[in-house]
Amino acid sequence: MRGHTGAFKMRGHTGAFKMRGRTGAFKMRGHTGAFKMRGHTGAFKMRGRTGAFKMRGHTGAFKMRGLNRGLQDEGLNRGLQDEGPYRGLQDEGPNRGLQDEGPNRGLQDEGPNRGLQEEGTYKGQQSEGLHRHEQEVFPVRDWDPNLPLKNLPLSMQEKRSTRDRRQQQRLSIGCWESWRRSQRIARRRLWEQVVRAMCGLQLWRKTLHTIEGKFGMGVKAYFTFLRYLLYLNLMHSVLMSGLALTPALLNRDEHTPRGFQGNDSVLDLLLGTGFLQRSPVFYSFYPPVLLSGPCLSSPLLFLLAIASLLILSVIMVVRRTVIGYKHTWMLGSSYNHHMSYEVFCGWDFCTQEPKTALLQHSFLRNDLKLALEEERFHQHVAQRTHVAQQRARLYFLRGLLNFLVIVLLGGSFYLIYYATVISQGEKPVSWILSLLVEYLPPITITMVNFLLPYLFCSISGFEDYSLTVQVNITLVRSIILKLASLAIFLFFLHRNIKSAQCWENQFGKEMYKLVVFDFLACGLNAVLVEWPRKLLVESYPSCSLLRALGKPTFLVPFNVLDLVYSQTVTWVGLFYCPLLAHISLLKLLIVFYIKKFVLFRCCEPAQRMFRGCQSSVLFHFTLLLGLLTALVALVINANILQPSRDCGPFAHGDSLFNATAACVETLPPPAQRAFSYFTSEAFALPLILVEIVFLTSFVSQGRANRRAIDRLKDILVMCSADKRFLVGKQAACLRALQPSVSAGSSGDARHTERKDPSGCQPFFARSVSAP
Amino acid sequence: MGNKQTIFTDEQLDAYQDCTFFTRKEILRLHGRYHELAPHLVPMDYTNDPDVKLPSALIVNMPELKENPFRSRIVESFSEDGEGNLSFNDFVDMFSVLSEMAPRELKAIYAFKIYDFNTDNFICKEDLEKTLNRLTREELTPEEVNLVCEKAIEEADLDGDSKLSFADFENMISRAPDFLSTFHIRI
Repeated sequence: MRGHTGAFKMRGHTGAFKMRGRTGAFKMRGHTGAFKMRGHTGAFKMRGRTGAFKMRGHTGAFKMRGLNRGLQDEGLNRGLQDEGPYRGLQDEGPNRGLQDEGPNRGLQDEGPNRGLQEEGTYKGQQSEGLHRHEQEVFPVRDWDPNLPLKNLPLSMQEKRSTRDRRQQQRLSIGCWESWRRSQRIARRRLWEQVVRAMCGLQLWRKTLHTIEGKFGMGVKAYFTFLRYLLYLNLMHSVLMSGLALTPALLNRDEHTPRGFQGNDSVLDLLLGTGFLQRSPVFYSFYPPVLLSGPCLSSPLLFLLAIASLLILSVIMVVRRTVIGYKHTWMLGSSYNHHMSYEVFCGWDFCTQEPKTALLQHSFLRNDLKLALEEERFHQHVAQRTHVAQQRARLYFLRGLLNFLVIVLLGGSFYLIYYATVISQGEKPVSWILSLLVEYLPPITITMVNFLLPYLFCSISGFEDYSLTVQVNITLVRSIILKLASLAIFLFFLHRNIKSAQCWENQFGKEMYKLVVFDFLACGLNAVLVEWPRKLLVESYPSCSLLRALGKPTFLVPFNVLDLVYSQTVTWVGLFYCPLLAHISLLKLLIVFYIKKFVLFRCCEPAQRMFRGCQSSVLFHFTLLLGLLTALVALVINANILQPSRDCGPFAHGDSLFNATAACVETLPPPAQRAFSYFTSEAFALPLILVEIVFLTSFVSQGRANRRAIDRLKDILVMCSADKRFLVGKQAACLRALQPSVSAGSSGDARHTERKDPSGCQPFFARSVSAP
Repeated sequence: MGNKQTIFTDEQLDAYQDCTFFTRKEILRLHGRYHELAPHLVPMDYTNDPDVKLPSALIVNMPELKENPFRSRIVESFSEDGEGNLSFNDFVDMFSVLSEMAPRELKAIYAFKIYDFNTDNFICKEDLEKTLNRLTREELTPEEVNLVCEKAIEEADLDGDSKLSFADFENMISRAPDFLSTFHIRI
């Protein structure tokens, strides 16, 4: 509005408002939204405003009530009065709804307290007299009284006055209420302190913070995943020590020799023979002992340890996967907000060093350029599909490359089979060669897992996909490679294992060798590949080949797959090598420091920022796949192979479940019948059917919700278009009305100035109601 | 914990503890930081609420804010006069909202204020362009900037007025998985 003269009254306006060069009275009530005014003269009254407010060069009286944040006063006559006592129930309720949002482990209240913005209806009496007392009922539009003070988006001064008001209210309520409230506040404060202390106890917090600052969130996600696996293995080792190791240690067989004997050597550490074979590391150490009654026997405890370990792992990994997946999956493609996330959430506000800031700027630029590339690629794809011949050629090429991938996989599987057969055959005489032959399967598997992903990377470059799809396809192929190579190895091990005694020990030794070699490979990779590469690149900067090679960068997906692979091996081998969890724990601890050394001393930050949060979903999902592989392998082993007769906790039975059968027989008959029912097919089949019914209902509910969301979005667009149309119409009407208003303006101005200063007049204007 | 500090009264510290996400120790530490920005301006005794405001030029040179491309906007959004002059209350308020404990809704409100360069309660295309230029140090070509802004508005705008109101912004931010971890400053 510009150059308006005369009275002006408005009620319940929402939206932006600009005015310039007004003269005459001005009254407004219940305005929300921006407000700008310049060069106003004359009385000015406003009530219950929210939102930004700017005024310049105002002269004359000015009164405002219940202003909410954002007052900008440029040269205003200082008659500003902020009034408005607050009436109503004050309750500083506790923070409800703890929500763990991944990397940020603070107290988050995203629960029912969503009453942050009360866009108001004007509360209060309509009939006002001339001399209204300030303290009377004019409840200022305020925030939800249940919200704690800290969460209010007000300035400190306003928060303090709100606090004082609330405290005054508290005084007028009985002492029981106030005591309860103070207790609640004390409990909340205590809880916050506990949470803060626990967050501070997390391992390696400072290192992770430094890594995030220097290398970005993707690399930090890898180290967070490593720490998570560490906690997982800690839980495993505690369970195994408590349930399996302790009974075995307490009931040790006195006749078996302990410690270093005649033929033992340090090589036993690598091969798992000799003194290591007799130690608690392997299956044969654990005797079948009856502790007290058939239901507390060591085989049952052993089974319990393994089962509880696996079930807990399943629950934890599924939970982690689902929490992350919920964000990305349920939104579907219509909620792809990549560009806006990049712009608004791209900059890490924690950055303090200039070098890191430069890096972030280039990351963001590259990411945005990448996103634009993808857009252009999608358009290119849309054009391309119109030409049939091109499409046919492309599909043929893709089919050929996939066939090549299958051939490579098949070749590596054959290599693994060959290595297994050789290693299970006769051993050569010299100790070096025999060590090599024993370690042939792990060496083959590691080499295959190291080389093939690079090949997959270059293959996917020829398939004409967008960049993210390329990365995803390479990842999928690498995952298949790692898990399948392990599965193939286990399968051929099954076939070829021949041992007079204890096949479980043999199996456990192979798993142990895999874990040991993986650890050795990690260390050797750091010392023999990454470190020399960095030294070479630094000492010969002029050599073009070295410059093309470049310093090593930390490839997050491949490193994560290595972690998942070693954890899968641990899960498979835990039954046959019970201390594998402890060994894994130690190994992860050392691997953390090795990788940290590689990262800080050898690597340079990658130019492309790996989307950290989406990838953590991928990590946990891959871990889940590994866990499922391990479960399948263990179940097959348990069902097909008979336990050895002379070693291990299950020596006295035909199968693993004899121990449980013995315990069940001691239970009362109804319990026995119930137990046999629960383990039979008659229970499993209806259970599966019920689960399918539940799944179907959830899926259809999800689909219906998605349709409802789409409909609501359309309604929103229509409503806002209606609102704009109505506002335009009203502006036109006001303009048409102006001549008639200005005729009576002088009279009105005097009239309003004589009336009561608190400006409580019923206004005439039609309010533009927001839909 | 009888600390014989004379900077604030106990009542003031209680009020700060209720109104921000900081503990008493952290408030005192913040006061130390505030004081060292301008030792001759900031009194050591705050018991009678002195009205001291530090100019924005001093605050944006703090190490926590120096490398932030939005530092001037952050300081302006928390100042009472909109010019960036922060009193100690505003200073504490700013770091409280930007701390790890602040909930998502509160951060979204202030993030909206920060990115709204012309303070008209909407993030329009010009605001986005300014944001983008600050983020990438003007290294994108104008067509790319245009494309990115259009795409961002298209993604987040729900009511179809080709600018982002607070409702649109909050809706988009509530789904962003890394908003909470990026929108925080440690002090």
